[in-house]
Amino acid sequence: MPSHNNSRRPYLPAFRRDWWLQLRFYQLYMLREATVLPLLFFISCLIYGLYSLSQGESQWLKWLDFMARPWVVALNVLTLAASLFHAKTFFELFPRVMPLAPPSLMIAVQWLATVVVAGGFVVLLGAWV
Amino acid sequence: MSNSGQQPTRSDEPIWWALFSAGGVCFAVVIPGAILAVGVLYPLGLIPGEMLGFERIRHLLFESFLGFAGFIFVGVAICLPLFHAFHRIRHGLHDLQWAHGWAAKSACYCSATLLSVIALGLWVAAH
Amino acid sequence: MTSRNIGIMRYNPEQDKKPHTESYQVEADDNTSVLDALQQVQQQDPSLSFRWSCRMAICGSCGVMVNSVPKLGCQTFLRDYPDSLVISPLSNFAVEKDLIVDMEPFLEHLSAIKPWLINSEQSTVPHVQTPQQLARYQQFANCINCGLCYSACPQFGLNPEFRGPAALALAHRYNLDSRDLGKAERMPQLNAKDGVWTCTFVGFCSEVCPKKVDPAAAINQGKVESAKDMILSVFKSSGVR
Repeated sequence: MPSHNNSRRPYLPAFRRDWWLQLRFYQLYMLREATVLPLLFFISCLIYGLYSLSQGESQWLKWLDFMARPWVVALNVLTLAASLFHAKTFFELFPRVMPLAPPSLMIAVQWLATVVVAGGFVVLLGAWV
Repeated sequence: MSNSGQQPTRSDEPIWWALFSAGGVCFAVVIPGAILAVGVLYPLGLIPGEMLGFERIRHLLFESFLGFAGFIFVGVAICLPLFHAFHRIRHGLHDLQWAHGWAAKSACYCSATLLSVIALGLWVAAH
Repeated sequence: MTSRNIGIMRYNPEQDKKPHTESYQVEADDNTSVLDALQQVQQQDPSLSFRWSCRMAICGSCGVMVNSVPKLGCQTFLRDYPDSLVISPLSNFAVEKDLIVDMEPFLEHLSAIKPWLINSEQSTVPHVQTPQQLARYQQFANCINCGLCYSACPQFGLNPEFRGPAALALAHRYNLDSRDLGKAERMPQLNAKDGVWTCTFVGFCSEVCPKKVDPAAAINQGKVESAKDMILSVFKSSGVR
């Protein structure tokens, strides 16, 4: 209908820049996406560790001191929380992207993998075993 | 017929999405344990310093698994999570309407590639 | 029946520069839906424009934003909004008048992915389908084209060229149908930047879907299909040469 449309004046407001603040669901989405920011901090720690390892024992000891500084520990605790929040969202989305088995089973198996790997690290580096 | 337009071009996004997904698995499965051990339990004294001794870590990274343990660790704890992180940053920049398009995309994936190359280079250099 | 206040976004293109909220008194009890309330207001002010038809969540006409969340008016009840309730037109679409939006962009995206059975095979024998074959796509076949998922999708708001949740879910639905042979025709649309790849799995589309279609799952399964299609295309092009 090309003609007699003279009174049409469709109104489309600009998409809000702060759209993600408007609903709790969107806030949680942004939080999920933001988990990569503390992740980048931990990756930087690891790269710094690799560098220190390549520079010899005294630099390696400096890295160990660095990892024990309170602000570094605080950021790493935050990163641990972020990785667990990411894991929760990722494990719940995965069965919807690849429905291979009942979702609750897939979620449980993925958490099991995380626990097994964490156990592996602790056993490998812990002195209790 | 529906010859109303050209076929749209294929996106290269499957490549980035595959790296993002692989990195997402690493972030969820490998990273929590790694941070727990090195970033939390060690500084709290629950893992003694000698277990993270220079020679011991060198041995773990460069000699176990036919010498490839360090390579695997760099891959699953650094490189793939880097691509995961920069993929989300790229889409986050678009979501926040801060930046999008070719420049933001290249900056993100170039950063991930560069940092991955540095990490792998350090693994080689530390031998 | 008690009297209560509701807000309605009004826009008259012949008089107003932009939409504004007006408040109205309606009589409501536990069974009063948003659509009922709109019809009451229309008795007071016949100039109020909104779409509706079936009153039973099957026609998909009465989609509106209820306190900034896309809802079917017939399926949403005033009792669930004891404090305040503002009804506005569906987000991410241009408002024509009051609660009526221009759904044309949605319909264009929908037709672009060819949401119908494509099968040129001439046969008098019916296409038999087993319950297992039906189960593969049945969930994605419940879409009523109400458009709520487009109002829920920030990626569609940011990029109106994005094919969007309902269209991509229906593309997936027909690609999964054993009677359909049109996947090769649909994949180029899915493979494009404005196809499945604009989606970042916000997931609010699936949250607001009145028919539990889970379009977010369909789109992300479409990403797996598109990735496979890319690998196949590399093999095909290298095999021909």
